Amino acid sequence: MNIKKCIDAINACRFCFMCRHLDPVGNVTFNESDTPRGRALIIDKIRMDRENLNNQDFINTMYKSALSAANRYHCVSHYDEAGLVLAVRKDIVEAGLAPEAVKKLAKELEHVDFKVEGKGSNLYFGEMPELYPDSKLISGGDPGKALEVLGFTNESKNVFEKFKKAVINSKCETLIVAEPSSYDFLKNKFDNIKVIHSSEYLLSAGVNSQTQSKAYYLDSDYLKNYNDNLKAPRELLESAGYKLAMFGTNQEESYSVGEGAVVYDKLYPELAKKLAERVWEQADNPETDLIITASSYTKSILKKYNPAFNVITVEEAVLKAKGN
Amino acid sequence: MPTVQKSYMYEMIRSELAWVVGEEHIQTTDSDKLGHSIDYYWVPELWHDRGEKLTPPDFIVHPATAKEVSEILKIANTHNIPVIPWGGGSGSQGGALPIYGGIMLDMKRMNKVLSIDPVSMTTTVEVGINTQHLEWEIEKAGYSTMHLPASIACATLGGFIAHRGTGVLSTKYGKMEDMIMSLEVVTPTGEIINTLPVPRHASGPDLTQMFLGSEGTLGVVTKATMKIHPIPESRKFHAFLFKTMHDAMVAGSRIMTSRLRPCVIRLYDEPETAKLIKKVLGIDKQGAYLVFGFDGYEKMVDLEMEQACEICKTLEHEDLGTEMGQSWWDNRYKFFYPPYMFHMPQAFGTLDTVATFSNIEKVYWAMKNTIKENFPQATFIGHFSHWYEWGCMLYARFIIDEPPKDPHEAIALYNKIWDMAIRAAIKEGGVINEHHGVGLKLGRIMKDLYGPAYKVLQDIKKVMDPNNIMNPGKMGFQGKGA
Repeated sequence: MNIKKCIDAINACRFCFMCRHLDPVGNVTFNESDTPRGRALIIDKIRMDRENLNNQDFINTMYKSALSAANRYHCVSHYDEAGLVLAVRKDIVEAGLAPEAVKKLAKELEHVDFKVEGKGSNLYFGEMPELYPDSKLISGGDPGKALEVLGFTNESKNVFEKFKKAVINSKCETLIVAEPSSYDFLKNKFDNIKVIHSSEYLLSAGVNSQTQSKAYYLDSDYLKNYNDNLKAPRELLESAGYKLAMFGTNQEESYSVGEGAVVYDKLYPELAKKLAERVWEQADNPETDLIITASSYTKSILKKYNPAFNVITVEEAVLKAKGN
Repeated sequence: MPTVQKSYMYEMIRSELAWVVGEEHIQTTDSDKLGHSIDYYWVPELWHDRGEKLTPPDFIVHPATAKEVSEILKIANTHNIPVIPWGGGSGSQGGALPIYGGIMLDMKRMNKVLSIDPVSMTTTVEVGINTQHLEWEIEKAGYSTMHLPASIACATLGGFIAHRGTGVLSTKYGKMEDMIMSLEVVTPTGEIINTLPVPRHASGPDLTQMFLGSEGTLGVVTKATMKIHPIPESRKFHAFLFKTMHDAMVAGSRIMTSRLRPCVIRLYDEPETAKLIKKVLGIDKQGAYLVFGFDGYEKMVDLEMEQACEICKTLEHEDLGTEMGQSWWDNRYKFFYPPYMFHMPQAFGTLDTVATFSNIEKVYWAMKNTIKENFPQATFIGHFSHWYEWGCMLYARFIIDEPPKDPHEAIALYNKIWDMAIRAAIKEGGVINEHHGVGLKLGRIMKDLYGPAYKVLQDIKKVMDPNNIMNPGKMGFQGKGA
């Protein structure tokens, strides 16, 4: 079983309460099972008796996790509770026990075709090619990260192979990735191609603006909690003239509304809505505050459940500043 | 209650509860029941670790208002079902365990800061709020609760009220019973009452203090008004190493009896200095480590710090300076994260005891000698955590690296250590305990601790909770039985 490789995290998390305040799902459902301790206890029961893997309540709890990794980031020893949930998801899938909704979604995610268009020495993977005039554009869907977090390892590899082929055929040496989940997935997957997040690329390219707008930056799970990249998006926004204020009451909670789980709203729309409602509650002046996020997933979920959110992506913020 | 679980009455009661809180706010899944079957008490942790079956609650209910709590308690009285309030579930005494099944009243949905009064420096909050969330919200408003325990991120305010909890800065800002102004409580029979709005009065015995520490046995606290404080201009720390724990205790008690007002003092005995201070802070020294801090206006902090250091220097010492004091503050919670915290398969317990300065060292040696003489397989370490004008708290711990494999034998050994060590402490004037509470763990010792006075507590419980629905079997009160 994959979870047996994570015995240190199981032992560390199963009786530990020290990060429970940071679980985004636990903070809206108030369920003990939606905290790292609650999930680790369940996984420990599965470890002790594989029969427990058949328990539908346990399976559902594992897919309800938003995989924010805010807990891991907070932990002084950085025990990988998110990795633990990913391991048990793999065990669920390998045992053929994935819920029907998960299987159906996985099938959909397998059907992707990637195409490259345009001219340039770099290859851009995102939604705002106008910011990258010297780059080719690759498009077609998720490159395998969503399947990976759902526990479909082989299917994820197959999708990635298609993506990889398209990238290699482009003959570009740098891949600029906008969506943080894709960046996290792709960053170490190529031998001779440099993978860079769009905020790092835009920051190095330089943005000068006369804009002086107050804005709140919502950290991305994948940039901050998974890759410890707090600086690049902030420095980019500041160089674009945004005066950044702290969102909510602290900088530890994840407000990325399920970004860590990549396709969270497809499986748990009611929970994604609750996560969006919490962001609304935590905002200083939700109807007027300008919120900027690195993740277009986060933006889309916030807007989907409350169109009144004044939220844009980092790339849109840069474009807006350039326009000024 | 467990017999009801398999009958149609289970659904009859579930439907009644769902009518009050809504279907969405009542859980009966295996996932939720598991999480509510184990708190931070070693015994259920061991039970899980050894693959034994835990006792889950029958229903987990998340009320949103005091009125909903009231309705739930009325249902529980009708059907004579136990009700166990649950906050963060991080209590170490088994106080929130559903030992007879029943309704787990998970209070975390009641998590709003209702108001902040900057004139009186108080805040009124729903007590299901996680205390780290509370502190963040109060800090954003420019103040602090000054309630900064190691469990700040784990527990709810209600949990701290239930167990008379305390924080790192208790020496200046007090324990929970000093921080609370007044409470809203739902009594076991479902009445919603408020205690008097201020804690200092001559209008009879203080009901607020009666509910503080009652561990969910006398009702459900739903709202609290508590003090808040300005953010201090300065907070500074200093550490000393003394040759013996006794010398360090003399220094600490002199600081307190001189009526200086440190925000924190912490003294580690020689074994804990050698073991934990080295492991967590990297300070590798032989002796007893003493750290203290002051906060407030910088001029006053500097003056008080100078006086406290002068007191320490009258004894044989090594001055570790401000850096090794600040390091303790910066890492104060690290002690409680894995792998620094004791963990399975170890058996471990915190023999939390409080006594006067005249008695506290006698208590320490009585417990230490009891363990040394009777349980050679156990290690005893301790530090003195929360200091008052008259005495301090001993945070003593025993650790057994390899307890018996059989869970019954392991628990029997564990209980025997508690029975002998705590009774030895009581003989020397120690009180169990200072801030962890009684719960299931220490209920059996309450009669020895209180003597004939315990009947007063039992009578209050009987009058207030005639059907004994509220957290039965805790604090030594009557259980639910078969």
